Amino acid sequence: MGFLRKPIAGAPVSPVHDPMSMSVINELVEIAEYITHMREEIAALRANEMTRDRIPMAHEELGNVLSATAGATNTIMEAAEAMLCLPDEAGYRAGVEGHINTIFEACAFQDITGQRISKVVEALRQFELRLARFSNAVKARDAASIDPAESQRRARAETLLLNGPQIGGPATSQDDIDALFA
Amino acid sequence: MALDLSMPILVVDDYQTMVRIIRNLLKQLGFEEVDDASDGTAALARLKGRKYGLVISDWNMEPMTGYELLRHVRADEALRTTPFIMVTAESKTENVIAAKKAGVNNYIVKPFNAATLKTKIEAVCGS
Repeated sequence: MGFLRKPIAGAPVSPVHDPMSMSVINELVEIAEYITHMREEIAALRANEMTRDRIPMAHEELGNVLSATAGATNTIMEAAEAMLCLPDEAGYRAGVEGHINTIFEACAFQDITGQRISKVVEALRQFELRLARFSNAVKARDAASIDPAESQRRARAETLLLNGPQIGGPATSQDDIDALFA
Repeated sequence: MALDLSMPILVVDDYQTMVRIIRNLLKQLGFEEVDDASDGTAALARLKGRKYGLVISDWNMEPMTGYELLRHVRADEALRTTPFIMVTAESKTENVIAAKKAGVNNYIVKPFNAATLKTKIEAVCGS
């Protein structure tokens, strides 16, 4: 857009020589540069890659973690329940050992789920890096209002004290709770 | 303390594995009459159909939480004296105090063991 600023020889006085018009043109140039910069930053987000590959991968991996965890828990509980029902007679020890081996085998899920979770953590790290870069580049500010569904969810969680499990263990120990009930 | 092992107990949790764990622990303690429900709404329906000697409930469930269930139970003339133990990961002091104010008889933080469950049941139902 720089050509707009050049006077044309022999031409009548162009509006571009008018300070007001020059100001408008400069602003348009700045806007054009900003749009170009924004397009580069949006491209760097690689949003298509995230929505096409990484997010579905994270969903699939976490779904697998859930089912593997549930499957292993089920196997372990079945083995424990079966042990509780073993008759107190000859062969009891062999029966217990058989079920214990089943429990050992079921615990192998932890290795697989650990690897799956690592992939999801890496994908999240990538999202975080790209979003942080984008946010800095465009000097993004968070909107003051949140959508109604989220607002409703937060209000319900606040009213019903839905905190969920705390990181690093219970916020209040069982002993402290017992003291409140003493 | 003597416990009435024949009393029916209602376990309320949306996580079936936890229901199964509590069922097994109760069985080990000698309780045979154990029913379960997956949230407060289902629990209320069960409570209206049978007299339970104890409710053991999780807090964080949808659509009706354990806290809402507790308030419903305490507001219902026919159910208000039913012993109620909250078993939950919601362990902030404000939660414990809110549950106590709402009339909970005891409060267990997850994860817990059989000894803790036994102690709390004895404290609430022992005679």
